[in-house]
Amino acid sequence: MPQLNHTALFSIFALLLTTSLLYASLGQAHPMSAWKWMDIVGEGGTAAMAALWALLIVSSRPGGRVTMLLAGGLVTIMLGAWADCLDEFFAIPSTQYWDNWLEALMPVGMLIVTIGLYYWRQEQVVLNEHMQKRERLFRDHRSFDRITQLADASYLYRQIRMQQENHLGDEGMLVLLDLDNFHQVNREYGQREGDRLLQAVSHLLLLNLRPQDLVCRYAGDRFAILLPDMEEIQARWTAAHLQQAIATLAHHTRDGKHRINLSARTACARADEDPEQLLAKMNARLEAPSQAAMHATPAVS
Amino acid sequence: MTSTIQRYYLTTTPFIPARHQAALLLEYALSRDMTAQNLLRGTKLSEQHILAPSTLVSPSDYLQLLSNLQSGLAAADTSFMLGQQLLPGHYGNLSHAMLQAGNLRQALNILVAYQSWLSPLLAPHLVEHSGHAVLYWTDSCVTPRLRGFIVEMMMAAVGGMSRWLSETKLPWRYRFNRTRPAHIEQYAVHLGPDLHFNDHLDAMSLPLEWLERPWPRGSEIAMSAALAGIEMEYGSSLLAGLYDYLHEHIRTGPTLEKASAAFGVSPATFKRHLALHGTHFQAELDQVRIHVTLQLIQEHGYSNDQIAAYLGFHDVNNFRRSLKRWTGLTPSMLRLQTQGFQ
Repeated sequence: MPQLNHTALFSIFALLLTTSLLYASLGQAHPMSAWKWMDIVGEGGTAAMAALWALLIVSSRPGGRVTMLLAGGLVTIMLGAWADCLDEFFAIPSTQYWDNWLEALMPVGMLIVTIGLYYWRQEQVVLNEHMQKRERLFRDHRSFDRITQLADASYLYRQIRMQQENHLGDEGMLVLLDLDNFHQVNREYGQREGDRLLQAVSHLLLLNLRPQDLVCRYAGDRFAILLPDMEEIQARWTAAHLQQAIATLAHHTRDGKHRINLSARTACARADEDPEQLLAKMNARLEAPSQAAMHATPAVS
Repeated sequence: MTSTIQRYYLTTTPFIPARHQAALLLEYALSRDMTAQNLLRGTKLSEQHILAPSTLVSPSDYLQLLSNLQSGLAAADTSFMLGQQLLPGHYGNLSHAMLQAGNLRQALNILVAYQSWLSPLLAPHLVEHSGHAVLYWTDSCVTPRLRGFIVEMMMAAVGGMSRWLSETKLPWRYRFNRTRPAHIEQYAVHLGPDLHFNDHLDAMSLPLEWLERPWPRGSEIAMSAALAGIEMEYGSSLLAGLYDYLHEHIRTGPTLEKASAAFGVSPATFKRHLALHGTHFQAELDQVRIHVTLQLIQEHGYSNDQIAAYLGFHDVNNFRRSLKRWTGLTPSMLRLQTQGFQ
């Protein structure tokens, strides 16, 4: 839930109230019979919506130039629309011009919002670079895991299906990677340490992949990596490289007293069948006794 | 027959020390950036209450906390993550005893015997048949909406506990009385690859020899010593107690009157207590009959005639009709379904 920004809310109310008082004191009230309801609803509604959008922007974005421009532009639009609306209730003598200036704020506000959107686009290009390898082609914020900031299994399934539809015969490779004895880390150091370790591993994976690759947190301590435009032999090499990177990672607990040694096992397959069946097969391969470190030494030193 | 009257707890009975499961839920919520206030919504508990050693919570409080966690975090792994921490848990001597269990059988026996503390919402039952040990779960205090969540949690608890204490990944096979979930990947990673849905039972099973394999930390003396110090007020929940009673007396035509007498309460009170759990006597009886039917088919390969006679039906058509009413299946369809799990 976005936190409501009380200062912004207060300022908007103050602006609306001041404008209303200005009209009430300097203007002549129209009789109720002369009110044009359609205009009142239309202009008042525009003002209310613009105010709401400004509040949403302020409460959901960190401060800065883009936020200022977007919110400021919307507040200006709100003022223009509100002046238009008050015009329906009060007649301002035609010798005064300030009310026309107030109403002219509407296009000015639109211009400010447009400038804000232009900078927002630039900002987005920078952010997209940051999100590279965490998402491909489309965004769905509901699919992101809160611990690792990686996409989840349902996002992976959709990516595989898209890849299959758009690139016939070139589906790419899928690597499934599972940490050995991760459950012991949760047991011995607590689940918060486990979370930290998952974050470290996801960073490590992101650093060791190409820009066009996609890393997802499949579930728990199991990661799925989609490698487009790749041959099987390269994918196996990539998987082995990731295993090696994890084996040499020196991860320390938060108190700095213990180093956790890690190892991982992987399964590798061409992403050319139904994603859920594919993942079920790869899961089974990861769990096969020959591969599983059944009696591996504890991941503790 | 009524020699062992056991006191049962209700969903509203406050008897679970808050520092057991509730404290764990609090810690988990905070680690996932959920405020204590949001976790405790709908209960009369405060953060201080939960951490105080004398506070007792009821199963319905526990349910409310789980419900708040489930909707507040909206993550598919919540039940599994909680489950992994539930056993052996931090329940004093009881956890010590489980930690020292010499093998899987001893650990599961502790779980069943001390279920009111270790698993107050879902009752575990351990049976053996056709070379397999089967741990299946029936309701103690659950709501229909949270049932799936709690089943995931308790299966992850037993799976995780046995994996940790045995230092081996045990070949558990999981069966669920539910349709295939959308978050199947959580099942695959946290439980294992051997998953089956649309079953009549929530059960986990493995070959019998795993029950007796010695565990590296096992110490029978330490386990017995830890168990000796434990005194529990309640053996099991109303529904679990009734389940066991009906299972034992299924051949003698159990009735509400006989059952309530066995538990030392009036039929009216017993009826009211059942209603509090959203059920009634006939529904519980039908459930036990289904389970017995399944066991007779799987374990002994009984024919319809034999099962009908065992359950006290006058003729086999009567049994066939009743089974259809309980499960929506004819005996032959049921046989076909259960064949896959041998």
